[in-house]
Amino acid sequence: MHLYTPLLAFASRTLPTQRTRNPSRKMPANNDRPRDRNVPPRNTVRESSGSNRPKAFFWILGLIALVGVAALGYVASKPKSRAAEVRDVADTTNSGPAQGYLIGKVDAPVKILEYADFECPSCGGWATVTEPDVRTRIINAGLANLTYYDFPLNQHRNTLAASNAAACADEQGKFWQMHDRLFQAQDEWNGEATEQPKPFFKRYAGEVGLDVPKWEACFDARKYNKRIGANLADGLRRGVNSTPTFVIANKLYPGMRTYDEIKRLVDSAAATASPVPGAASSTSATKK
Amino acid sequence: MTKRMIVAALALAGIFIALYLTLYKLGVIGELSCSIGSCETVNTSKWSRFLGLPVAAWGVLFYLDVFAVALIGTLPRFENERLISVVLVAEAAVGVLFSAWLTYLELGVIHAICIWCVTSAVIVTLILVVSLADLRDFRVTDAGLGA
Repeated sequence: MHLYTPLLAFASRTLPTQRTRNPSRKMPANNDRPRDRNVPPRNTVRESSGSNRPKAFFWILGLIALVGVAALGYVASKPKSRAAEVRDVADTTNSGPAQGYLIGKVDAPVKILEYADFECPSCGGWATVTEPDVRTRIINAGLANLTYYDFPLNQHRNTLAASNAAACADEQGKFWQMHDRLFQAQDEWNGEATEQPKPFFKRYAGEVGLDVPKWEACFDARKYNKRIGANLADGLRRGVNSTPTFVIANKLYPGMRTYDEIKRLVDSAAATASPVPGAASSTSATKK
Repeated sequence: MTKRMIVAALALAGIFIALYLTLYKLGVIGELSCSIGSCETVNTSKWSRFLGLPVAAWGVLFYLDVFAVALIGTLPRFENERLISVVLVAEAAVGVLFSAWLTYLELGVIHAICIWCVTSAVIVTLILVVSLADLRDFRVTDAGLGA
């Protein structure tokens, strides 16, 4: 009982004063002033009135929302094409046959081709966020294999060097380790972060366990420039004009894809590939 | 227009800027429209994530919250509620500190500036200034009445 008393007393004191705070405190201050003054004195509490949410406020909010939605809609629907810039990326003449980097079983039923640029942020997003799932659940499961082709865009200053770094890692059988490391650390070696990417690449070469002097000699000689040019030329021939672009069952899919999309495309490609029953060699012999 | 309405309008603009950067981070937008600075460098740097979420996504949540609080604060029922002003100032102060840290990273660590991030920092600073002015109205009131 005596617990409630102070609470009630407090409530009965506070509630009315909160509600009547304005009039009760304002009255004495305003009594001697004319009510119809246009500019209220500074030391009055703001009054509640319906006119405090003028239509102009909602018009302004509506306008900001309209401009924002329109601008976002426009940039989101704009094609991510970089065709104009890609045409300048040349040095693909006399580069010979394309030679990508394979991951997965050579005889996997579906083949995914990826055309990517080591410096492109979307490729980095794909490689670090989506690709791990694709590798675990599609490639390692034997549903498909993936071949990576360099598609260096010329607005990316360090991408060709990165392709070389990865190609030189491939020489020692560690392309994919270098590929992953390059994409993970894209923020520190990209063309806008540094003009000298080599120290970063050299560090990664050590981290992924390469013979660094051998890798360095290869990198300095730009030994695989032709291979990279050939991969780029292959992409251009296929009509690739943005990165990443995927080719699954001879169809071109530009832009980043989610795991689910890749899985759906692989499944439908596998379904139309008319698998030969019993062709799974060694296991078929043990079935009976 | 009351000061809270100005805060709401600024926060709404902030929502769209942060949303733009978030959509880029999620890969919905291929390239950032960035005539000044190096937006991609900043937004692909390792500092572009905070507690598992893109910094820009935190920005969207922050601005949505400020927008909601400011909008509620314009309702006749709440417009004399000092607590709304206190909350707005507190939130804006956190926002300014966070933006200051991000701007420091841009200038001092990443060595690249992202014009949209700077715009966001300016907006959050304006929100703080206007929120402080809003809160000050109450102080002036109390002081005036007390005298």
